[in-house]
Amino acid sequence: MPLYVERKPESLITEEGIRTDGRLPHEMRPIKMMVGVLEKADGSAFVEWGGNRILAAVFGPREVHPKHMVLPDRALVRARYNMAPFSTPERRRPGPDRRSIELSKVIREALKPAIFTENYPGSVIDIFVEVLRSDAGTRVAGINAASLALASAGVAMRGLVSACSVGRVGNFIVVDPNHDEDMWGDSDMPLAMMMESEEITLLQADGTLSEEEFKEALDLGRKAIRFVYEVQKEALKRPYYLVERRVV
Amino acid sequence: MMFDQEILTHNLMKDYIRELAENGQRVDGRGFHEYRPIEVLNGTFTKAEGEAWLKLGETQVLVGVKADLGEPFPDTPDKGVFVSNAELLPVASPTFEPGPPDEGAIELARVVDRAIRSVDAIDLGSLVILPGKLVYMIFLDMYVLDYDGNLEDSLTLASLIALGRSEIPEVELKNGEIEVKESKRKLELKDIPINFSFVKIGSKILLDPTIEEESVSDASITVAINKDGKVCSVQKRHGTFSVDEILNIVSVAKSKWPELASIVREAI
Amino acid sequence: MSDLVFVRDKEVVIPGQPLARGKMRPGKDVYVDESGTIRSKKLGLVSLKDDEVSVVPLVGAYIPKEDDLVIGIVSKISGNTILVDIRSPYQGALPIQRRAERVDMRKYDLRIGDVILAKVRSFDGASSLILTIDAEGLGKLEGGYLLEVDPAKVPRVIGKRQSMLSILKEATKSEIIVANNGRIWVKPPSVKELIALEKALKKIEEESHVSGLSDRIASLLSQELR
Repeated sequence: MPLYVERKPESLITEEGIRTDGRLPHEMRPIKMMVGVLEKADGSAFVEWGGNRILAAVFGPREVHPKHMVLPDRALVRARYNMAPFSTPERRRPGPDRRSIELSKVIREALKPAIFTENYPGSVIDIFVEVLRSDAGTRVAGINAASLALASAGVAMRGLVSACSVGRVGNFIVVDPNHDEDMWGDSDMPLAMMMESEEITLLQADGTLSEEEFKEALDLGRKAIRFVYEVQKEALKRPYYLVERRVV
Repeated sequence: MMFDQEILTHNLMKDYIRELAENGQRVDGRGFHEYRPIEVLNGTFTKAEGEAWLKLGETQVLVGVKADLGEPFPDTPDKGVFVSNAELLPVASPTFEPGPPDEGAIELARVVDRAIRSVDAIDLGSLVILPGKLVYMIFLDMYVLDYDGNLEDSLTLASLIALGRSEIPEVELKNGEIEVKESKRKLELKDIPINFSFVKIGSKILLDPTIEEESVSDASITVAINKDGKVCSVQKRHGTFSVDEILNIVSVAKSKWPELASIVREAI
Repeated sequence: MSDLVFVRDKEVVIPGQPLARGKMRPGKDVYVDESGTIRSKKLGLVSLKDDEVSVVPLVGAYIPKEDDLVIGIVSKISGNTILVDIRSPYQGALPIQRRAERVDMRKYDLRIGDVILAKVRSFDGASSLILTIDAEGLGKLEGGYLLEVDPAKVPRVIGKRQSMLSILKEATKSEIIVANNGRIWVKPPSVKELIALEKALKKIEEESHVSGLSDRIASLLSQELR
């Protein structure tokens, strides 16, 4: 018996394109990222994105257990996406559900192309994404956090993986769908890319999009990802700048 | 899980920590009865009704309290339901593996739960909406984010703060239908039962062990003290203690209660 | 193609960041993309030397190299081989066999949990890592304590011509051995010096990219040990 009942909003978007949270179609929610939040992990990052609070941690490269999973010529990459019981309005039972298992896989596949796995034969790189507070777009926020965690662990990479979702609400292609749009909108498309090569490493979509809408969504997604990349870059470099300023 | 935990201890660590302990010293310079710095972070990190992200030295925990509605347990139809759960997240330590809680995590949850339940820190009777049929269910979910020793005390402090901060939506029964109102009521802590964890190294007793101290210890024990200075729950883990040692431990725990209780009160 | 360098020497760069193009040669921890641009593989500092561009990582796991000095912890003794944890994705193997006449076989009388100073005899890059403790000075370490730093920071802890290490040793009056795998064996006169060393190492890790570190460490130590 839930204490929280969701009600579909009267209107998801006005004729002028004003969304339920007051944003315009091309506006993103506020984003904050920081690295080094955990001590024991080799690399870690914390992302605040709208109402999302996502923690990512990386261990590795490290020894593989169980030994039979070893790949002799490259690193094994494992990822786990997990939502905390208190991350949603209604408490979630702890443990992986089918969605978490699917997201763990797509997150691994989004990040693996960026890693020089051949630099670490016979080892494993473990990636953990913990959603502490969920507010639509957790997988893309998680990928962004995990990229930072990987880089801050010193893993050799072709580049950061940056991600953002786009969606369709009525006739509008919107960037960074909020919870209402995710639940009641017409299409949701999470997208991740390696900035340097503009290669797509994550692409999912549900709902319906015409070919033009699909193209428009991809374009908008790419623009958003460029912005996200700058936030990631700043987060990685910031501790070093702060130290420089403190010391000088 | 903590003590059978294979954190890589080595003989130098064992010898050095023991030698220091014999001389009344600790590797981080603390006194035997001194806590590491405790910090409660500001901000909203969850969708819990009440939450706390707490640091004890380099140990970090995040506790969230969630409320739901449901049936009471058959043997307590006039009490709300209170369930505690702890998870040793893999992010917290290279030695934690993903998966369901193991005996260490389960014991942790039960030790925290016991301290709270034994003094009725939460008045479960006040959580009844329709006796025998409908009650509030309070879930205490404890997440370990960074493991550097003493999860019992850090989780207990964070849990008390999270519970004390919790506000649950009020509910009214109208013609047999449940109506959730806009207004909220505080969960209210009726007591502040705090867990104090000690380890024995050689013949010395140390409060608030770090991960190294836990791993080289000969014995460990946790004692909970409430606002009246009463012992409300005890859990001995590995090793042995003499009666005198335990009496001394209780006395030290009692003396530290005011310091930690004020941290809890301030955070709420 | 003309030479194009996009970054300054000692600049902090992130994985994938473009560093240079043209006649510049790729050095360590960089790669060349399809368009011929040299990019960083890691989070690190740019190192521009003559016409070579490299990146010196700021963090990272220890990957063994032949002749490296490592501090290991005996984790298992299995038949004729002692398995050693060297804080790396690769576990070390120490075969119990004499390689030279004058080696004292009592050196191999090791127990699980013992800490040893060893050298990397060979590493095939993927699975076979062989250590040796034959040489003088290698073998079980007695007394003292182990501290750790990120393996990428080891050169800074040692310093040019051991300058930083000397500062640490003299100020704390401690014996110190810094191994390539980021483990540091210390024997301080008291806990006070141990704590001062830990603070100094943490500071080195945080500030290694800002010049003048030696002075700052010296002043930290004199403050801590007043």
